[in-house]
Amino acid sequence: MKKRWMKLMSLSVAVVMTMSLAACGSSSGDDSSQDSSGSSEDKTITYWNIGTEGADKAALEYAVDAFNENTDSGYQVEMVAIQNDNYKERLVVAMSSGECPDMYTSWSGGPMNEYIDSGFAQPVDDLYEEYGLNDIFMEAATAQASYNGHIYAVPTYNVSLAGIFYNTEIFDEYGLEVPTTLSELEAVCDTLVENGITPFALANAPKWTGSMFYQCLVARYAGLEPFQAAVDGSGSFEDECFQWAGEKIQEWVQKGYFPEGVNSLDEDAGQAKQLMYQETAAMMLTGSWYTGTFSTDSPEFYEKIDWFSFPAVDGSDADTSIQIGTIGDQFVSFNCEGEKLDAAFECASYYASDEAQQVMVDNGKIPPTKNAESLVTDPISKKVLEAANGASSTQLWWDQYLAPEVAQVHLDTCQELFGLTMTPEEADAQLQAAMEEYNADK
Amino acid sequence: MKKNKNSLAVRRQREVNKVAAVFLAPVILVLVVYIFYPIVNTFQISTLDWNGISADSTFIGLDNWIELLHDKAFWTAFLNNIKVMLLSILIQIPLGLAMATFVEFAGKKSTIFKILWFIPQLMSSVAVGFLFTYALATNGGIISSISQLLGGGLVDLLGNPDTALYTVIGVIAWQFTPFYMVYCVASYTNISEDVYEASLVDGATKGQYFWKIALPLLKPSLKSAAILSMVGSLKYFDLIYVMTGGGPGTSTELMATYMYKESFANFNMGYGSAVAGGMFILITLISLITMRILNGKED
Repeated sequence: MKKRWMKLMSLSVAVVMTMSLAACGSSSGDDSSQDSSGSSEDKTITYWNIGTEGADKAALEYAVDAFNENTDSGYQVEMVAIQNDNYKERLVVAMSSGECPDMYTSWSGGPMNEYIDSGFAQPVDDLYEEYGLNDIFMEAATAQASYNGHIYAVPTYNVSLAGIFYNTEIFDEYGLEVPTTLSELEAVCDTLVENGITPFALANAPKWTGSMFYQCLVARYAGLEPFQAAVDGSGSFEDECFQWAGEKIQEWVQKGYFPEGVNSLDEDAGQAKQLMYQETAAMMLTGSWYTGTFSTDSPEFYEKIDWFSFPAVDGSDADTSIQIGTIGDQFVSFNCEGEKLDAAFECASYYASDEAQQVMVDNGKIPPTKNAESLVTDPISKKVLEAANGASSTQLWWDQYLAPEVAQVHLDTCQELFGLTMTPEEADAQLQAAMEEYNADK
Repeated sequence: MKKNKNSLAVRRQREVNKVAAVFLAPVILVLVVYIFYPIVNTFQISTLDWNGISADSTFIGLDNWIELLHDKAFWTAFLNNIKVMLLSILIQIPLGLAMATFVEFAGKKSTIFKILWFIPQLMSSVAVGFLFTYALATNGGIISSISQLLGGGLVDLLGNPDTALYTVIGVIAWQFTPFYMVYCVASYTNISEDVYEASLVDGATKGQYFWKIALPLLKPSLKSAAILSMVGSLKYFDLIYVMTGGGPGTSTELMATYMYKESFANFNMGYGSAVAGGMFILITLISLITMRILNGKED
């Protein structure tokens, strides 16, 4: 009997062993078959992005097709589209195993800086100048593609700002006006709650969705300085404005401004937009890429929808033109040199062409270019673009902008604020501790 | 007699050794490449301050391990794993055994149950996760709808840190109980038909047969089932990742999801490897202790 147990034990230990590395093992296994670095075929440029389907695919693929058809560099670009959800992880695995693609897109911010610091992106200031991209892309787009004073990426296909979509029919029914201040917004919400309608559709299981409320509240209360100061270490996340934003969120949760069980609703499963479609919720604070989501899901519903920028906080002198969002959504970085870099950049430069911009607009995107205004016809997209152009500055989403490990703490604590399981003081203290630890390690 | 170097027996033995080596080589190669090397490598990486992608990494000795010992998040995750483990064993195995016993006693008529009950095990975890995210949704989910029908309010299971973990444990049980059913059905077939017939001849009831004869005979299989379930729970990942992502906050974080986040999302490959190493050590220890206890009882 003893012997049998020994056998069983060694077996189970073996099982244990396999699993602790299964995550790394299996995924790197997948990737090696992807063959990416182009060592086998020197004239092939591998390009990873998230254009697996629909509008993303159309907009991202355009430059690749145009380049492959027109180039006389002798290179060809091979596009590998990877599902959005685990794109970042796939990229990390590829980089760690020396299979980093020659071109790849990212959302810029913290992770892009990490790729740059690790040597997986080349500065492209000269090429950017040579192709005249400075004159084509919005300044904010170029700024979000830069790090430490150098340009490291080319913006591609979208301008997305945090803003509030609302159902005009519901607003009309209860005689509500678009709020311009926070107290007006709260009055609107109170009326909606009285009539049994959830003010905000929000699915906070993935955490970044609720974080937008926090980011907007902070920006409207105190502008961007406190956040920037907290990030570089001269300020603190325990500053009054963060505390205020946390308290506001909890006040709103208690007043029933959000759907019940908000932290269990899944954005990826469409549980927030369902509330909008059922018309049991009247507003939704989210990224303006939702113009595309709403209009593809139901053009009739889309006609009922309008958009406004997050309202001002009463009594605050913070600049209300400040926006939270991304100008250029998906930035192409380059992990190659010499001729290959020239060719890869030539390919990316097609995103700046008039035809490419038209393709983006046709697919419901807002190209991050100075010329976009003359192309965009969708009324909501026009408003978003106006807000983007009028912004004194645009802060990239915190969860993208912050270093990943700090961003994670922000997302976790912010979700707990919504769940009323953590006080604003505790949340701020944790975030500050994570930020300090990161700055100390740097 | 002194053994001759070229005696037939020695020559034969040498041949056998050669053949054995040839047959074992592929297995050993696979083990080394896919199991031993990654483990050694994990421990190596755990001594580095490395973001996982950069060419440079700094050797920091045991710093990651010291941090791990003091890392509240890791120990909370470990505690969650223990909860998953205990509840999985307590729910899945008795339930699986009950289902197997039913199927066994009901005979051929019950094939339909065998098939129906096995279906959850055939579904991929991601599909199960999405299915239950919808079914348990606060708005329009099954539980909430029933509660409303009965005059109660909406029920938020996955968004509440007090219930989220137990809810996922329930879903894990839904998915894995069928496995233990099949396991027990297989063990039943190991019990000789004669034993069953002999007990009937001696006038035992079905209840007596189960408690006094079948259960003791099934004990060894149940023990290994418990260990399988234990190891499976301690390394659990899929449904938590799909259904809660470790949330709300960090209330359903498990060691494996924590390792994944640190390694791939937070660019802390060194620390993530220390977490993996820590998991390896903890799981091995718990397995060894459990074996010891189970063995002790047996003697």
